[in-house]
Amino acid sequence: MGLESVKKYACSAWNSEGRKELPKWAYRKLSSIRTSIYVLCLMALSFMVGTVFPQGESYEEYEKAGGKFLFFVSAFDLLEFFSSPLFLLLAVVFSLNLAICVLERYKALFVRRTFPKLFKPTKSFLLTHDRGHSHEDVRAALKSMKFRVADKDGDWVVMEKGLPYKWLTWAYHAGIVVCLFGVLLTFLFAFEEMMTLKPGEPQTIAPESTGLVQSIWQDKAAPSDFHLVLDKFTTEYTEAPELVYPDDKKARAAIGLGWQGLSHELKDDSLFAKDWWASLRAVAGGATIAEKKIEINDPLELEGYTIYLLGFEQELKLMVDGNPLLIDAKADSEVMLPNAATISFGTLRSGTATRVDGKEEEFTPYVTVRKTDSTGDPAILRLGDSVIVDNVTVTLAGFTESAILSYRYDPGVGVLWAGGLVVLLAVALRFYGAYYLIAYKVDDSDDIVHLSVHVTTKGLLADKQKLLNRLEARLTENDIKPVPLPSI
Amino acid sequence: MPLDSILSRDSFLLMAELRLFWLVAAFYAFSLILHLFHVFSRGESAGKTANTLLWVGAVIHVGLITLRTFETGRAPFQTLYESLSFFACSAVLTYLFVSRRWKGIYLPGTLVAALAFGACMYALLSRSPAIEPLSPPLQSWWFEWHVVLAFFSYAVFIVSAAVEISYLAVKPLLKSGDGQYGFRADMLEDFHGTALRLVLFGFPLLTFAIFSGAAWANVAWGRYWSWDPKETWSLITWTVFTLYLHSKAIPSMRGTPASVFNILGFICMLMTFLGVNWLAKLLGIPSMHVYAV
Ligand code: HEM
Repeated sequence: MGLESVKKYACSAWNSEGRKELPKWAYRKLSSIRTSIYVLCLMALSFMVGTVFPQGESYEEYEKAGGKFLFFVSAFDLLEFFSSPLFLLLAVVFSLNLAICVLERYKALFVRRTFPKLFKPTKSFLLTHDRGHSHEDVRAALKSMKFRVADKDGDWVVMEKGLPYKWLTWAYHAGIVVCLFGVLLTFLFAFEEMMTLKPGEPQTIAPESTGLVQSIWQDKAAPSDFHLVLDKFTTEYTEAPELVYPDDKKARAAIGLGWQGLSHELKDDSLFAKDWWASLRAVAGGATIAEKKIEINDPLELEGYTIYLLGFEQELKLMVDGNPLLIDAKADSEVMLPNAATISFGTLRSGTATRVDGKEEEFTPYVTVRKTDSTGDPAILRLGDSVIVDNVTVTLAGFTESAILSYRYDPGVGVLWAGGLVVLLAVALRFYGAYYLIAYKVDDSDDIVHLSVHVTTKGLLADKQKLLNRLEARLTENDIKPVPLPSI
Repeated sequence: MPLDSILSRDSFLLMAELRLFWLVAAFYAFSLILHLFHVFSRGESAGKTANTLLWVGAVIHVGLITLRTFETGRAPFQTLYESLSFFACSAVLTYLFVSRRWKGIYLPGTLVAALAFGACMYALLSRSPAIEPLSPPLQSWWFEWHVVLAFFSYAVFIVSAAVEISYLAVKPLLKSGDGQYGFRADMLEDFHGTALRLVLFGFPLLTFAIFSGAAWANVAWGRYWSWDPKETWSLITWTVFTLYLHSKAIPSMRGTPASVFNILGFICMLMTFLGVNWLAKLLGIPSMHVYAV
């Protein structure tokens, strides 16, 4: 859009003529593919901005970490860029541009197509028939090759075959509009929260927030009428030997060139959590309404919510010096012992393990433990066993494992997938499929009958040369055939 | 089998694999040197030998990746070490497939050999070849589809960029009647058309890769889009290739502007794969989380 025309409309917008013209002008601009080039450029640039600046960070954190360009960062909301007015405005222009293009092109799909009066021949053939027979032969040959007539009123007859590429082009653009609508639904209505579900402590889904639109009439979404119960949390491990591999590049090159060897070692705590599940039950009015063993990649869908397993939290019950004094400690954290050092725990392991030799076994749960200020290898503390730290005996008396769940309400997902399916199908067919348009003309102006053919193709599977070869073979095959004489 | 035997067998296999990988990198390195020699000398024999070396490297590389697949018992692109190897191999194979009918044209191989060599050296010197068990988020049907399609599209975009750059380099030479690198004026446009055809082939793959990534994120993390840098760069790449395709539909933009978009798309693709955090560092802006491949 030229600067001149923008100026012109900016000035004339104030008079009534201008006010009438402006929407028309905007509509015209928004239905143009050229505008979409500019808009797509701006979109790409704005996405880049969002990857350069740390999204979700506070300005203080940003400044502390040595972030630059503070003025711009705060003026343009660069730390929350994807929900900033600037980005949203651009997204609206992008969506309008696409939606209007789709609308305009939809109308065009039904307009009777017009073809040029003249085509530039891709190839010409000599034919040994008279003009009339040649015409029939060509038509018959093309029909047998599954071409259908698109226009036979001009000098050139136009025939076509293959996938309806105009519809497909339209379909994936329309599919993207549907996807954008799905994204809009997500933006307006979706919300998500987390909960920690302990075994034996049923909980309702009680969000503290709600979607953007729902927040107009309520602070938080209503609690669910069902309870979630964690029946069991299970983990499966696999024993994973560690590769002894140097950090130094020269040493790595030496290994690759065969001057140095390579080895694996199995440590006491070489277990890798390869799977974990939460057996969930949803209970309403005393009856179980849903039950599922969920894991990452396999959530539970219930009453508009999708309930995901994000992780787990472990609590250790420690006995100090044989005292019934119990300390609840999170695994992966530090504990200060009374009158003694601080100790650090690793992740608690419990469940079954597949050993290096393929054997499976249920093992005694254990946790690694070491004095926080020591650098040595940690000790292993098994369930029921003790370690002595600075003359203090610490016993692992028990533990609980809770599931960390996230639940999400998002009415946009289904719409997004439906649009996505259309986009994928239409893009694949349009780009990979084949469409041919052939225009031909039989000419005998200088007593030699010849056929001019123009071919256009769309789609990667369309092979122009192959089509021309087939046509030539068909026509010469017919040419050799004797022309039946009219019976007397 | 006793534990010690299992461990030493694993070490032996990994050792063999590493040496093969160094061998592959050496073939790519020599291929790159000869390609560069071809660029400067315009001699056909250097180009031909460079191409042969690329073939040999690729054949060993396929063997290597097959070995890794058996060794790990899963798709060979979980760690960045594996991904880099897969990336290099798929780019070289795609190039060799696309160029199989070209006669005497070796110029585009320079970029492909350089990328393949760079990726191999990065894997060998900066990443660990350890075989990691598949973590729970990766145990999904989407994992293989998502990654294979993304890498396949990357490979196709690399070759397209190599063709595009060669076209831009050769066009003025042909006009001035200078050395041709195996090109004749009448075949140049058809050669250039290959760049478009490759993007037409790669674009649906990238589209599917992004959708499958979103579908996967939706079941694994509970959100289909988080504006993670990697996600965002894949969207930038997709947008730039969309720009390329649209500019091909506008007569006045079909030439140089379209070529620029194609090359930009390739750069964005590299950013998506590797360069996401590098940019933030370069600009002195606090870095975000690194996305492990
Ligand atoms: C701002 C959003 C967009 C607008 C306004 C837009 C508009 C258009 C228009 C008007 C055309 C010409 C169609 C025709 O000749 O009938 C076109 C072609 C095309 N569009 Fe888009 N488009 C947009 C986004 C996209 C996206 C996101 C894709 C990716 C799937 C895409 C892929 C294409 C392709 C490949 C063509 C060439 C079609 C052909 O040659 O048949 N467009 N677009």
